[in-house]
Amino acid sequence: GGLCLHQVNEAKSEGRAKLIPSIKLRHCCLLRNQRCVTAYLYDRLLRIRALRWEYGSVLPANVRFHMCAEELQWFSQYKKSLASFMRSLGGNEGLDITQDMKPPKSLYIEVRCLKDHGEFEIDDGTVILLKKNSQHFLPRWKCEQLIRQGVLEHVVS
Amino acid sequence: MFIADIRKDFYEVVANQRVVLLVAPDIDALCACKILQALFHCDQIQYTLVPVTGWQELGTAFLEHKEQFRYFVLINCGANVDLLEMLQPDDDSIFFICDTHRPVDVVNVYNDTQIKLLIKQDDDLSVPSYDDIFRDEDEEGEDSGNESDEGSEPSGKRRRFDEGAVERRIERQRAKREWEARRREILFDYEQYEYHGTSAAMMFFELAWVLTKDTKDMLWWAIIGLTDQWVHDKITNMKYVTDIATMQRHVSRHNHRNEDEENSLSIDCMRISFEYDLRLTLYQHWSLYESIYNSCYTSCSFKLWTLNGQKKLQEFLADMGLPLKQVRQKFNSMDMSIKENLRDVIEESSNKYGMKDIRIQTFGVHFGFKNRFLASDMVHATAALLESAEKDDSETDNFIKALDALSRCAKETKFTLQRLNLLTFPLKMSSFFFLLFSLCRSNIDRLHSGIALAKKKLIAIQQTVASCICTNLILSQGPFLYCYLMEGTPDVKLFSKPMALTLLCKYLLKAFVHSTRNKRCKLLPLVMAAPKDVEKGTVIVVGIPPESETSDKKNFFGRAFEKAAESTSSRTLHDHFDTSIIELKTEDRSKFLDALITLLS
Repeated sequence: GGLCLHQVNEAKSEGRAKLIPSIKLRHCCLLRNQRCVTAYLYDRLLRIRALRWEYGSVLPANVRFHMCAEELQWFSQYKKSLASFMRSLGGNEGLDITQDMKPPKSLYIEVRCLKDHGEFEIDDGTVILLKKNSQHFLPRWKCEQLIRQGVLEHVVS
Repeated sequence: MFIADIRKDFYEVVANQRVVLLVAPDIDALCACKILQALFHCDQIQYTLVPVTGWQELGTAFLEHKEQFRYFVLINCGANVDLLEMLQPDDDSIFFICDTHRPVDVVNVYNDTQIKLLIKQDDDLSVPSYDDIFRDEDEEGEDSGNESDEGSEPSGKRRRFDEGAVERRIERQRAKREWEARRREILFDYEQYEYHGTSAAMMFFELAWVLTKDTKDMLWWAIIGLTDQWVHDKITNMKYVTDIATMQRHVSRHNHRNEDEENSLSIDCMRISFEYDLRLTLYQHWSLYESIYNSCYTSCSFKLWTLNGQKKLQEFLADMGLPLKQVRQKFNSMDMSIKENLRDVIEESSNKYGMKDIRIQTFGVHFGFKNRFLASDMVHATAALLESAEKDDSETDNFIKALDALSRCAKETKFTLQRLNLLTFPLKMSSFFFLLFSLCRSNIDRLHSGIALAKKKLIAIQQTVASCICTNLILSQGPFLYCYLMEGTPDVKLFSKPMALTLLCKYLLKAFVHSTRNKRCKLLPLVMAAPKDVEKGTVIVVGIPPESETSDKKNFFGRAFEKAAESTSSRTLHDHFDTSIIELKTEDRSKFLDALITLLS
């Protein structure tokens, strides 16, 4: 707005009033481009926010590669915000609200191993060998992380 | 030992434990596995499922899991060998074996601590009694003790006692030799023939029924398991009919709720019905003509590899008044007027052409408007998936695909972040949670792809049979018939798999029996060899018993192959759970064959 007015005044004072429409047009174009870029950046921020919910607090390298420094900084601040919010819930221990985002139907789920992952320890100390194409019936909360990473697949039957 | 009460001695034992399921690659085992999985889901019994294709894989899987798991459930594997000797487990490992392979190894029967057989004690077993096979070592010890005591008697009486002692000793040794000879004979008779018992799927369904946790899905899987035994010729006709009757009782029990007019079930619910349906493989998913052409029963009765046979087929169709145009269409597109009485019309005409058993007792399922399947359709589709020869898929991939095809519901696949490079996505995507892509790929599609593969397999079998008969590839070797599929035969890769080769073998023998005039040859068993692995230079060899109406399906080739391999020191791999299927080095083929001929003459 300010720059546009300045250029219009300059044009008037130099006696080149017929440039005023082009100045105004160019200004509108610039404003539009600015809106587009802002919308794009905002959309990226929304996706980055969603990454925290879907993927957890550590992002894989190939995703971080596509983020600029400011976005990374925004992400870590969002993480901190979310963490302090979660700590404030549920009494002293806090509550991890990024778990179980869809109400779980059962305590245990059947999962299929999509790639060799080696040994995997579950809560009571038993070690399960995750070999490709083996199927296991395990507690849901232990599997969620691996399902997100693509090592396990939830089998619905 | 045999388990008396499957609920108390098996299910309640594993109820709070973690279990490893080791499952063999056949349809009956897959169905049994699905039933057991469903039960375990109900009661939240944690398990790990590992598919095993042979003894080596079984051993490896056991070694991998023995540290962490105490209970192992083996489905359709493990009963016919001395399992403890093979796996050398620790004393606290317990094995529950549900296996249709007979004869059950005597050590498995008489072991009280670690081997629990999920097999009914009267399931066609005729196990030798304990005393005939195992002799307590204590008897020996006592005798030698007495001998030394007697030896220290005063010299006057010594000679008399010595004579007595020596006589007794000779007598004992003679008795021992006799006992051992008798034992060898008994074991030889017991282990000579390999055959199959009641379906594993049916055993687990019975467990579900005893727990009153049986559902229609489980019932359907049990039916498929039973039908698999019939399709792959593992059980006699009599047994099949008896087991069908058992299943029919369960089906009626599950169906009586449908009869109520007011509370009729939704169309999407599963309905199982008893069908006295045609023996034409996959006919409802194919055209009637192709099904008649490619089904073993009709193809052999008409002798469709001859021109005469094909003419007869045309006559047969004309006799029934079915226009060729209709009959070559997809079955679902045939005129309703033709489909209405099809079964009776075909039965009547078949009787005229000498096919008395064109109809067979079986079951069908339908859910939704489009989905109707017969049990045999499911068996063929799943078997084709299990043994599909796609290059990229390992055997366990195929196992998983076949297992999925047995489920009914839609399967969800979440696309994880690694598969979608999100931050480079175009701007058009707007919604916030598009990250969670749910792709519904139905298991029914998997089943349909299985049916397509099964059709290809059947056509390949039919063509191979036709070419083998027409080029006289089946040779009589004296005590058996022999056929070798050469390297360049079309579809030979399909027949490097055991189930496909066994099916081909069965059809070929049936066709041969119909086409030959030689009365003696009709009573011979068939041995067939096909290239298995070109790089390793091996062939797969299969032997099946002779074809007859009243065949008891008992197969002696397991032992015969073992002996022939031993005597010629051929390089063989007896890795398959069916002992009548082995892998052999191509170079050793001729000497192995000669040994087999000598052995069986």
